[in-house]
Amino acid sequence: MKRRKGTSDSLLTKAGGELDDRFKLAGPTRVLMNKVFPDHWSFLLGEIALFSFILLLLTGTFLALFFEPSMVEVTYNGAYVPLQGVEMSQAYASSLDISFEVRGGLIMRQMHHWATLLFMASILVHMLRIFFTGAFRAPRETNWMIGILLFWVGFFEGFFGYSLPDDGLSGTGLRIMEGMTQSVPFIGPWASAALFRGQFPGTDVISMIYIIHVFIFPLILLALITVHVGLVFAQKHTQWPGPGRTEHNVVGYRMFPNYVMKQVGFMLFIWGVVAAMGGLFQINPIWLFGPYEVSVVSSASQPDFYVMYLDGLIRLFPAWELRIPPYFTLPAVFWPAIAGMGLSVVLPLIYPALERRFTKDRGHHNLLQRPRDNPARTGLGVMVVVFWTIGTISGGNDVFAETFDISLNAMTWAGRIGIVVLPIIAYYLTYRICLGLQQHDREVLAHGLETGILMRDPDGRFYEVHQPLAEPDEHGHTELEYNGWVVPKKMNRVGALEPTEKGFFKPIEEPSQNGGAERRDEIESGRKH
Amino acid sequence: MSAHNDSAHTEPESVDLSDPKLSRFEVYKEGLRRDDIEIIHYEPRFAKPGTKAEKRMERIVGGMFLFSGLFATAFVAAFIWWPWEYEGAATWRDPQTWYTPVLGATLGLSLLLFAAGVLTWAKKLLPIEELVQDRHDGGSSTEDRRIAEATVDGLVEDMGLRRRPFLVKAALLGAAPLGLAAVAPLGALLKDPGDMLTVTGWNAEKYNNGEPIRMMMRDGALVRPDMVSVGGQITVYPAIDHGATNQFPTAPVLLIHLRESDAAILRENLYPMYDEVDALWGNFVAYSKICTHVGCPTSLYEQQTQRLLCPCHQSQFNVVDNAAPIFGPATRHLPMLPMTVDDEGFFVATSDFLVPPGPAFWNRPSLPEEDEK
Amino acid sequence: MAASAKRRRGWRKRLGALARFTGALVIVGGLYSVFSPSLYAQEPDANAIDSEAVKGQELYDTSCISCHGDDGEGIEGRGPSLIGVGSAAVEFQVNTGRMPMAAQGAQAPETYPSFTEEEAEWLGAYIEYLGGGPSMPDDLEALVEHADVGEGGELYRVNCSSCHGYAGGGGALSSGAHAPSLEGVSDEELYQAMLTGPQNMPVFADNELTPEQKADIIAYVQYLVNDDKDPGGVFALGRYGPSTEGLAIFLVGMTALLLTTLWIAGKS
Repeated sequence: MKRRKGTSDSLLTKAGGELDDRFKLAGPTRVLMNKVFPDHWSFLLGEIALFSFILLLLTGTFLALFFEPSMVEVTYNGAYVPLQGVEMSQAYASSLDISFEVRGGLIMRQMHHWATLLFMASILVHMLRIFFTGAFRAPRETNWMIGILLFWVGFFEGFFGYSLPDDGLSGTGLRIMEGMTQSVPFIGPWASAALFRGQFPGTDVISMIYIIHVFIFPLILLALITVHVGLVFAQKHTQWPGPGRTEHNVVGYRMFPNYVMKQVGFMLFIWGVVAAMGGLFQINPIWLFGPYEVSVVSSASQPDFYVMYLDGLIRLFPAWELRIPPYFTLPAVFWPAIAGMGLSVVLPLIYPALERRFTKDRGHHNLLQRPRDNPARTGLGVMVVVFWTIGTISGGNDVFAETFDISLNAMTWAGRIGIVVLPIIAYYLTYRICLGLQQHDREVLAHGLETGILMRDPDGRFYEVHQPLAEPDEHGHTELEYNGWVVPKKMNRVGALEPTEKGFFKPIEEPSQNGGAERRDEIESGRKH
Repeated sequence: MSAHNDSAHTEPESVDLSDPKLSRFEVYKEGLRRDDIEIIHYEPRFAKPGTKAEKRMERIVGGMFLFSGLFATAFVAAFIWWPWEYEGAATWRDPQTWYTPVLGATLGLSLLLFAAGVLTWAKKLLPIEELVQDRHDGGSSTEDRRIAEATVDGLVEDMGLRRRPFLVKAALLGAAPLGLAAVAPLGALLKDPGDMLTVTGWNAEKYNNGEPIRMMMRDGALVRPDMVSVGGQITVYPAIDHGATNQFPTAPVLLIHLRESDAAILRENLYPMYDEVDALWGNFVAYSKICTHVGCPTSLYEQQTQRLLCPCHQSQFNVVDNAAPIFGPATRHLPMLPMTVDDEGFFVATSDFLVPPGPAFWNRPSLPEEDEK
Repeated sequence: MAASAKRRRGWRKRLGALARFTGALVIVGGLYSVFSPSLYAQEPDANAIDSEAVKGQELYDTSCISCHGDDGEGIEGRGPSLIGVGSAAVEFQVNTGRMPMAAQGAQAPETYPSFTEEEAEWLGAYIEYLGGGPSMPDDLEALVEHADVGEGGELYRVNCSSCHGYAGGGGALSSGAHAPSLEGVSDEELYQAMLTGPQNMPVFADNELTPEQKADIIAYVQYLVNDDKDPGGVFALGRYGPSTEGLAIFLVGMTALLLTTLWIAGKS
């Protein structure tokens, strides 16, 4: 046993030596393996996007082996009975073949689609984390902007993927895109004619979208992701404030083995979730939709969720069309679709610069902020989230109306009013809640923890005993500074009492080392520390 | 090196690596020191190696890996041997309907178990460690900056960019058209939209040698009035070559047979432009099926409330008022197709739509009736 | 809105009481003597009215007359005339519980039927007697058996999917109305609905869709909605499309992975 181990060790050393002779690896490898990463659950959200992207490349390659991006008309005579004998495009026929006649093709298609939704959903959640903690501040503005671009390239990549099968639903999506494109002043009709090589839908759009979907956009995504991750690596990850953590260090564990093992484990976990969803949850059943025909449509025609908020805005926007007779029209759809999308791209891109300008804060920040410590930004973020959520719900308001038996027109009006009023209310409430939380933190720091122990003065007054967090001055106050991190709010968090809760969602608290019961007596007997 | 480790820890001393007495750990620590890393806390997960708890944890992790392999094998086996071919309508009792779920469950479980194994290994067996590394935030050192500046200055000097302004200007003048030439091939995509947004398949001059175009159903059957009963509607297409295909995306028309009372209301409300050309025939009316908002087929006909609803953005049109929009984001009525019945008793369009159907665009021609509404 | 609905309900109650009273009178006075004059007045041939129609009229006068009026002539603002709608329409409305309507609303909801199928047939016979109208083919079963599912699919997508959805799950219409789900609907009901265009549904009489084409559509709907199990998984997410799929990725996918991040990494 021992000898074998020795041989393998020396073999490893030998191989390492051979490699180092050629590539000079020892130095860089050491630096890489020793790199320290901070540990927090919220730092893993971007990884969900990264690993679902890798899965998208893998499943997408499988699909590309069988998909034919052609709009040539064929007569379907495959396995799916209800479509036999139906005229359809080659693209749709081959998508049906992937679903029914390629072994394992259906689960691959479904995994590809679920991974897309996961990719976009995790980008959104990751973006919220970055925003609310102020991680986009200098020196990381560039990476924030790359992240925003990643979202939008992913947005169109996803929309094009949704369009490729050329089924009834995807054709409807393309038709809406045509209407949106046409609405652009002056260049609209030309842009639409360029996109569809003449009149919609034409016979070329699928092959054009295909090359964008499988080559150009994945390449852009890959390049952007490489830079994105590279910058995180080079600039070093931000960390939460806490004991021993400063703007000038990183506290955590090493890249190898701890970080890498957790990453590999998480990657496999994400893939496992996507595989399970791909097998158990049916997604985009294109065989129900039939081939795209311009006169055919279905109730509840929706885009995928990440496009839905734009579709919702289009639904909610009033019928305002600007007309200057005889020859100028600005259709209503221009505002939510083109101007709305443009703002959704530009505003997030320039947000870090705007915040710098208004706060005049030009310093570098490597420590994160708790959302409560920047009420204005947090309020703004919640405002956007509420706006987006109402838009997204409105994008499915017909399904909502049908499911919950609400009038469709009432849903539309609720959305129209809600999308204007609720974000403002949300901003105000968030701002107040943040201030309240801040105040409570300061109060605990100044007066100590609430112990839940009520005492009565000799003259009859009741008061609650507070446990100061440090030695108090003569007024019973402590001069503790708020350091930007969690202030203990419960006795058991400072080890004064037995833990009350154990479990997954609540931190597992160590029992007090010096005996909870004695401690309690001590506290009750007076305001001694 | 503008920033320094301002933690309370003191810089560890460098060690002499040639010292043969150095332990592996000390060599390793020297590596950490060179990467500005310091160990705050480091202890093995299990104080004594080989305890029961450690063995148990090893068994758990090992079990996860083995079960993962088992499920992966099950996945491969199911992939090969599970009946999978679609053979027409099937209930949950037929094994082929379980092919995808079985694949998903086995592959998913295999991946999840392997992941759990790796993660448990990392969380429960790796040593507990906490390290701190200097961040070195901020720009390069002043020295580095100076050297870089000098290098770039030298480069500018070598090329003589300042001394040879003519060359610079000439290069720019040459490069601009070259850049244009690089993107010019994309111009091949451009196509004159021409009349594609204004002329539809109902244009007799363009598609039928000036002969009026009849209406047909999807299967090519020509349409007679007795084919639509009161309160009914059908989708009709121009009876020309490929008239019912996607080649004529703005042509589909909804032919509605109104009740007498509804038709009377419509006739009363009729826009002058439709009145002039006598667009209705009897109690029949034909509206473009393409929504004037962004072009979905507006084909949810509610025969009781006499509305047409578009399922994409919920625009609603009043059938008995020229299909004018009454709710939602659409701003213009669905154009009416003027029509009559020819000598042989078939419906025939008397002209193309009077205004372009479908979504608007900036130079869309419109008639005064529309602008008033 | 609410107040007027309440008023209407009150109205209905009184009318119902009146109708029940009339019904009692009918039984007391004997069927024949009460009805024969009016029936004779409309239909010279006394033998043409069979016993089914008579039983139907009895039911009609107790349960339908308050909205649809005497002899199915309709009451403005309450219920449409039933003359000429035919037995298929009556059987559809009654067998699916849509009629009699509990309260006036955007649309008669589908509930448990108040009458047995036999009673529905009687009612149908009576309405048919009043003014004829479309009726069901006798050989529907054979028609559906020999139907072309592919052809039915094309017809379904052109004529039906815009309201009932590609997957037959139904959909919202304007102002609270909706197209119902086709799940679990029988061949007869599908045929009756197409033939007669209940409520907001357009009529697809035999001129628009021949009985064979209707059978094709029925075959397709039954294949799609009721016969074929979804091949893509255990959960079809209600076949609602992207809206429930988006919900699922957050509720299932993201939630599972967020819990995993909490497990993998700490909270401090």
